[in-house]
Amino acid sequence: MLAYEFMQRAFLAGALIGLVAPVLGVYLMLRRQVLMADTLSHVSLAGVAAGSLLGGNPSIGGFVAAVAAALLIERLRGLYRTYAEVPVAIMMTGGLATAVVLMSFGRTLSQSFSSYLFGSIVAVSTTQLWLIGGAAVLGLIFFIVFRRPLYTLTFDEETAGISGVPVRTLSTAFSVLTGMTVAAAMPVVGVLLVSALLVLPAALALRIAGGFLSAVMTAVGIGLTGIFGGLTVSYVANTPPGGTIALILLLFLLLGMALQKLLLLWKRRVHGGQTSQNPNGKKGMETI
Amino acid sequence: MILSSMRDVVFGYGEEPVVHHVSLDVHKGEFLGITGPNGTAKTTVLKLLLGLLKPWSGAVELNKQAFGGGKPVIGYVPQQASSFNAGFPSRVIELVRSGCHSRVGLFGRFGAEEERLVRNSLEQVGMWDLRRRRIGELSGGQKQRVCIARALVQCPDVLILDEPTTGMDMRSRTELYRLMRHQVRHHGVTVVMVTHGLEEAGRYLDRVVTLERLEAGHPQIAPNAAESKPESSLAGDRWEME
Repeated sequence: MLAYEFMQRAFLAGALIGLVAPVLGVYLMLRRQVLMADTLSHVSLAGVAAGSLLGGNPSIGGFVAAVAAALLIERLRGLYRTYAEVPVAIMMTGGLATAVVLMSFGRTLSQSFSSYLFGSIVAVSTTQLWLIGGAAVLGLIFFIVFRRPLYTLTFDEETAGISGVPVRTLSTAFSVLTGMTVAAAMPVVGVLLVSALLVLPAALALRIAGGFLSAVMTAVGIGLTGIFGGLTVSYVANTPPGGTIALILLLFLLLGMALQKLLLLWKRRVHGGQTSQNPNGKKGMETI
Repeated sequence: MILSSMRDVVFGYGEEPVVHHVSLDVHKGEFLGITGPNGTAKTTVLKLLLGLLKPWSGAVELNKQAFGGGKPVIGYVPQQASSFNAGFPSRVIELVRSGCHSRVGLFGRFGAEEERLVRNSLEQVGMWDLRRRRIGELSGGQKQRVCIARALVQCPDVLILDEPTTGMDMRSRTELYRLMRHQVRHHGVTVVMVTHGLEEAGRYLDRVVTLERLEAGHPQIAPNAAESKPESSLAGDRWEME
């Protein structure tokens, strides 16, 4: 499988995005901005359409649109402090509407759109690979360098500001990075499934990890395993790679939740067995 | 020495002001209580003092000379501390350690001094034994105590507590007031605390400012004319922490 150059590229793109997207997902979930990934991917679609119509590179158009939308959401967040989801909904509507209208201007656009909607990781271009690489490297540097202020910011923005964290600057940088990562992830799973790469690994990691760092590392592990597993299954079973990766990540989440539930029931049973015995170890009256 | 002062401050969230021409001084090294009925903008006044909100008119000034010309370290425990994200993936000790981030910077290592501070803070709020617990597994009162430990670990010049006893039992509340008294007396910390429990907290406070509505139905407030010193104050007494 890895003898083919397109598969090598697919695994490289998957590895790069799998390193950064789940980390971003953890932060997005904790900041209650999960829908931001979906929104930015829809806006990114408008950028792809605009890029195509203007005769430029659609991928770069999508990249620019996602970053601009992320900045706008950050700006709107200040206006809707108590309804964090409102700016996200506004941008999603605006992005999708713009994409639909722009698509109507170019008849050939509709065909190439399917690769953006559903992903085409096995046909990743060199430009896309560079964009993915750039987003991954910048993202990793950002999360490593600013891990401490980001932790404080994610826990409580107000307290972070008082303790000297530059909340607005860091929050804006985080939004820009979200836009870049979402745009970079589009070729891997497509617009419709981009949040799968961010949210599903984080959703499982946050359930099973004890500490913050372990949650981040677990999310990356789940993300990479899901992407590599999905690509392999997709190659063997001849299924669409984007959908296969998302399904495998979903399967991980469901299995993880089921195992966690079973473990909890087992622990309760063990604990219940201990409390129902008297100190002499003989069966006695059960505690009501 | 005056540490921070509000002069004739007016502020509101919508069209009507909720803080109407309020003036208030905070003195260095005092344990100040801010109290008042619901809806008298106690938290808003606290946020104005902290500079989190910008007043429509009037001024909020910080006396930097009180801190040797430098920037004061402020420990803050918000009102909703006990209702924070229960799923946040952190253990108690990890969250309290985050209070040391400003000391160690972006890349500094946690040394023996930071670890001592973390242990000391957790012991002071009685949470050392639960340091390995996930914060989501704690009760509201325990979460509140963890947030107080995180504020203490910064070795603050000023501690701002917004209804810090929410969810705490009576013994924990008393211990908290004593701990704050100890911070004021032995470490020179200035403590400003919003509280409803003046009956309990009053004897530990140096001064109480009561906020009141000026007119029923109108969200205007002002501190009562006479800032009071609690009748049976423990402020001058000598006593040691348990």
